[in-house]
Amino acid sequence: MDPVDRIQTASSFLLQSPPGEINDVLNDVRNIISDDDSLHEGVLPALKEYNIAQFITVEVPGTQHQTVVSEAARLAVGEDEEERFLDPRSKTSFRFDHLSLEASDPQSVEPDADAEPLREALEKSTLAYLSAHFHDGVAAVFSAPETNRFIIQIVANKYNPSNFWAGRWRSEYTVDLSEHKVEGKVLVNIHYYEQGNVQLATHHDHSISLPQAIVTSSPAQSASKILALIEAEESNYQTAINDTYHEMGEKTFKGLRRALPMTRSKLDWDRVLGYKLGAELTASKGVFGSA
Amino acid sequence: MTDIVDSMLDLMRRLPPTRVEENVAALVGICPDYADDLLGSVDQPLQVKVDHATGREYLACDYNRDGESHRSPWSNEYDPPLEDGTTPSPKLRKLEISANEAFDTYREMYYEGGVSSVYLWDLDDGGFAGVVLLKKVMNSSAPDEPSGTWDSIHVFEASERGRQAHYKLTSTVMLQLVTRQNGESEKRQNALPAVSQKTATEGWKKDGELNLSGSMTRQIENDWPLHDFSSHITNTGKMIEDMEIKMRNLLQEVYFGKTRDIIYDLRSVDDLEKARRQRELQKELVGFIKR
Repeated sequence: MDPVDRIQTASSFLLQSPPGEINDVLNDVRNIISDDDSLHEGVLPALKEYNIAQFITVEVPGTQHQTVVSEAARLAVGEDEEERFLDPRSKTSFRFDHLSLEASDPQSVEPDADAEPLREALEKSTLAYLSAHFHDGVAAVFSAPETNRFIIQIVANKYNPSNFWAGRWRSEYTVDLSEHKVEGKVLVNIHYYEQGNVQLATHHDHSISLPQAIVTSSPAQSASKILALIEAEESNYQTAINDTYHEMGEKTFKGLRRALPMTRSKLDWDRVLGYKLGAELTASKGVFGSA
Repeated sequence: MTDIVDSMLDLMRRLPPTRVEENVAALVGICPDYADDLLGSVDQPLQVKVDHATGREYLACDYNRDGESHRSPWSNEYDPPLEDGTTPSPKLRKLEISANEAFDTYREMYYEGGVSSVYLWDLDDGGFAGVVLLKKVMNSSAPDEPSGTWDSIHVFEASERGRQAHYKLTSTVMLQLVTRQNGESEKRQNALPAVSQKTATEGWKKDGELNLSGSMTRQIENDWPLHDFSSHITNTGKMIEDMEIKMRNLLQEVYFGKTRDIIYDLRSVDDLEKARRQRELQKELVGFIKR
């Protein structure tokens, strides 16, 4: 396999990393490829793609909070310029190292004055929602380049390698006041790997129409009502996942393999053999002489 | 430095079980020298093939493969045909035929469908080894209905010690359950009374998928009495039956239950703030009463 294909394969492995296990996957890949020089440069695009898609969280320099590294957070810069991300909460932009996952070089950013009141209101409501329903959540609210559009991103991670499990919940909402709607998606990934490898991967796309009253209210009122709709949708979805588990346990598991046969007892293997093939095996008994 | 095969196995324990075939193929591409080690230690979903001679379905895996051909347990023929393909000794083939019939009964009792195959091969030390394969695929009957696949692979070694036989069994179960949700909200809306349908807003749409998949492997060693050569079938039958019951239970209760619990470690359906306030209020009350 030529070096380019090897890097491509390594990149594909990295992009499949379960939550919080990218370093473990990277270590395995380093050992398998055994060519650190070409690997280091080669897999950077994959690490970047992974971090952005997975809403990797980072401590913003000079602040006491974390923000989300994502496509929405990426600032538009010229082709030769260095990539920068925005923390809208502290109105700070920063450089991000996709390998060490650290932010540096903070610079203050002037927000869009027209969009800022509603963005801040959405941020306040989102943070309240976050502390009400997530155990270790991080959220960021961005105003999109288009007028009247906002992007809410939420991520919650729990990594517990000593008990062999990890989980990630991601949600993203595009609030479009001109179109009177919220487009949302929720993604959940769970990995449990104690003496096995079990993974849950879900995605849930939905859209919510916004009544006129919500669109025309004050920023604070609109924001709290929009977040109330999101809260209801996410709680419904979480309950639906629970119902799906129940149904899979009751129906699918049983449909694939019964816990016990219809007779409610284990097989009588002597009879299984006796019924079908007793005669034939009795005939061969003498030949093997083991009895 | 860690052994390359160990790194490969660690990687396979982390990457999604749904992509095991693709990832094993990629690893073989990177390190062809380790192909045998990898293919011998990573179980992959079983392929269903049709025996041309009998028209019956059988399962193909590494254990009934010779070159590019697979041997059918029903006709003992290789497909594509092989002049000098490896087959069990006549004595062992006789036992193989009986074992296939016995596990076919087992399959019908527990799986009520699906395909089973048993392959045996002679060992140099005079003993023999074998693999019992079972596969069931459940297609969804409606878009919202769950679908699933079950693959189990039981590899065993048997050695005779007078009137006893010693067995070493390694069992792997691979399971995948998928539930798709499309346009569920329409149904829910139709069920609502006309008045609330208006407020439920028009144009809700939903689209989603939940994929729960995993594999686990367990080993056990047992001694069983040996009355005659056919006792090997009843002995391994009992061991495999007990093992499958245990593993099915573990998958349903422990592994899948655990992934569901982790979702609740990420997000709480109940309002955490309310619970926090409740606790504080309670503390205050306790303090008040103590005073």
